[in-house]
Amino acid sequence: MKVGFPHCGSAYIPAKAIARELAGGAELIVPPSNSKRSLSLGVKYAPEGLCIPFKLTLGNLIEVCELGADTIIHAGGAGICRLGHYAKTQEWILRDMGFDFQMLYFELSKRKLRDMMSLIKVASGGASWLRILLALRFGLVKLGVVDDLERMVHKIRPRELHKGTATGIYRQAVDAIDMAGSHAELKKIKADYVDRLRQIPLDPNADPLLVRIIGEIYVVLEPFANMDVEVELGKLGVEVRRHNYLSQWAKFSFFLNNIGVDENRKIHKAAMPYLKHDVGGDGWESVGEKVLCNDEYDGMVHLAPFTCMPETVAMNIMASTRENLPVLTILCDEQMGKAGMITRLEAFVDLLERKRRVSRKSEKLARV
Amino acid sequence: MKPVYLGVDVGSVTTKIVTLDEDDQLLFSTYLRTEGNPVVTIQHGLRELSNVSHEDIEVCGVGTTGSARYLAGVILGADIVKNEITSQAVGALHYIPDVHTIMEIGGQDSKIIIVRDGIVVDFGMNTVCAAGTGSFLDHQALRLNMDIKEFSSRSLLSNNPVRIAGRCTVFAESDMIHKQQMGHPVDDILHGLCQAMVRNYINNVGLGKEILPPVVFQGGVAFNQGILRAFKEELGVDVIVPPHHEVTGAIGVALLAHEEMEVTKGESKFNGFNVSMADYHTSSFECHGCSNRCEIAQISLDGKVLARWGGRCDKWERTDSEKEETKV
Repeated sequence: MKVGFPHCGSAYIPAKAIARELAGGAELIVPPSNSKRSLSLGVKYAPEGLCIPFKLTLGNLIEVCELGADTIIHAGGAGICRLGHYAKTQEWILRDMGFDFQMLYFELSKRKLRDMMSLIKVASGGASWLRILLALRFGLVKLGVVDDLERMVHKIRPRELHKGTATGIYRQAVDAIDMAGSHAELKKIKADYVDRLRQIPLDPNADPLLVRIIGEIYVVLEPFANMDVEVELGKLGVEVRRHNYLSQWAKFSFFLNNIGVDENRKIHKAAMPYLKHDVGGDGWESVGEKVLCNDEYDGMVHLAPFTCMPETVAMNIMASTRENLPVLTILCDEQMGKAGMITRLEAFVDLLERKRRVSRKSEKLARV
Repeated sequence: MKPVYLGVDVGSVTTKIVTLDEDDQLLFSTYLRTEGNPVVTIQHGLRELSNVSHEDIEVCGVGTTGSARYLAGVILGADIVKNEITSQAVGALHYIPDVHTIMEIGGQDSKIIIVRDGIVVDFGMNTVCAAGTGSFLDHQALRLNMDIKEFSSRSLLSNNPVRIAGRCTVFAESDMIHKQQMGHPVDDILHGLCQAMVRNYINNVGLGKEILPPVVFQGGVAFNQGILRAFKEELGVDVIVPPHHEVTGAIGVALLAHEEMEVTKGESKFNGFNVSMADYHTSSFECHGCSNRCEIAQISLDGKVLARWGGRCDKWERTDSEKEETKV
C-alpha cells in the first residue's frame, strides 16, 4: 500500500514520523512541498469559485497520485464548512482524471482520536494499538517542537540585526526535526536549535509592533497560501502571535476535547453579543478573537481564503466590534499578487506605527 | 542652487514627478503615461525636469512611491521608498489638514483612507476586482471611440442615468453594450456607468467605513467630472478635489523625503540627473532552484545587476554589488 495525503502546514512531519515508527506497513508518499506547480494543477482541475485550500490540496493529491499512491488519506465531515465535502469532491475529480486509488476519510467533526488511530491501523497493516499510540505520540511531540521553535522565531524576526537569519535557522531546524529518529535525538535537536536561535544578534533598540494573526486555519498554517505573511511582517519589524498552531489543534482535538476541555469556549463567549452560533470554518473564532484581543496588541491581520463564506461573515461582523482596533483582511487566492499584499502590509504597519506614536504621546501628556 | 525635494510616483498607468522647495511649495510637476515602461518614463520625466529648471536646483532628498516604487528607488537613489497609501494620505493632509476621508482612484487600484485628527486610522483597497479604476474607464472610452476627457463632459450632459450593473467590469461592460443596443443615449449610459462605479467603490472599497466630511477625492480619476458628480450625489456631502490631485502621491512622498532628510541630516542618495541618459537594462528569468519556478526580474546598468525582485526565498535578493561588498 502506498499512502498519500494533502499538505496542511507541517502535518507532513508527524505523518512521516508515524510511518517510520510503524515501518513494515504502508509506504508513505509525502506530496512535494506546495509550489506553483501544485497550485497550477489544482487551479486547472478545480471549479473556479472554490477556495485556495481546495485548489492546493487537490494539487497535492494529483502530485501524490503521479508518484504512485494507491491510497489517499483525507479529512472531511459534516458541520465544518464546504471543506467537509472536499474529500469526496476531490475523489471524483481524481477518478475522472483516471487515477485509481482507495480513499480513507478522517472525520473532522467527531471522535477524532479513534478515527485517526483506526486509519493508522489500516494503513500500517494492523499494528498493535500500543504501537500506534506510541507512534502517534512521537509524531505529535515532533510537531510540538516545530511549533515551539516557530513561536521563538516570531519573536526574533522583528528584532534580529540581519534580516532572514532566524528564518534560515528555522528551516534547517524543521528538516533536522523531520529526520530525528528517537525522543532522545529530538530533545538534543531542540536544545541545539533553541541555542542557535538565542545566539542570533538582536537590535537592542528594536521596539516591534505586536500583531495578532487570525482567520481560516488552513491559510493561517500554510505559508504558501498566505504568501509568507508572517515572514513579511517580521521583515517590516512586526512580532506576530496566533492562537492556531497545528500541535495546539491536535492536542485539543485528539485529547482534551474528549474530556470536556474546550479551548474555544472563552472565544465563543466573547463573540456571543455579535454572533450567537457557529457559522462554519473559523468564522466564529475570528469574531471572538477580535473581541478578546487586548491592548497589548497594536492590530490584527485577518487571513481568509477568497470566497470563504465563514470568514466573509466574520469580516463583516468584525467591522462593528472594537472599532478602534485596526484589522487588515487579506484574501488569499491564486489571483492575488504578492506586490499587492506587500503594499497593504506596509501601509498597515505605517498606520499602526503612527497610531502608537500618537497614543504614547498622549499617555506622556496625561502623566505630566 | 535652490534646494528641492523630489517625489516620484510610478503607477500602473501614469508616472508622476514633482519637486517641492524648502517650504514644501510645489515647484514642478509632470504627469506622464507609464506605457508599460517605467524606466524610460522616469528618465523622460527627469529630462523634462532638468530642462525646465536649468540646472539651478539641488536635489536634497528623493522619495518614491507607487507600484514601481522599488524599481524607481533603485534608479533614482531614493532616500525613502513608501507605499501609495501613506504617501496619498500625507499629500492630502498637506492641502486639506482637517480631512477625514480620502478617496483615491488610480489606474489599477482604488483606495479609501480614513483619517482622524491627522492620523490614518483605517484604509481599504480594492481586493480582487479592479472595477471602476482608471484603466476600465479608459477602456470604455476607447470602446465608445471617444477621448477620456469627452467621457467626462458627455456624462455631465445626462439627467436620466441608465442603471448599469457595477459589481464587475465584465458585467458592467456587457450591461453597457446591452443598454446601448436597446437604444439608450450614450450620455445616459455614461452617467449610469459613473453611478455604478461609485456604488461599487462604496460597497467594495468603502466596506461600511464611516465616510465623514471633509471628503477628498484624488488620483487620476478625479479628473472625471461624471464620477465626481456621482460621488457627491451618492454621499450627499461635498467632495473636494484638492489642487494637484493627480500628483498627491508624489507630493506626499516628496514631503516624506523632506521629513526624512531633516531627521537624518545626511546627504541625499540621489544618483543625479545623469540617470536620465544611462542605459538601464531590465530582464527577467525563471529560477529553476525548486518547483516554485519564481519569475525573477532584474535591473542592471553597464552589465552590473543593481537589484532583483520576485523570488519567494532570498536566493536572488542579494545583488552582485552587495556580494562583492561582503567578500571584501
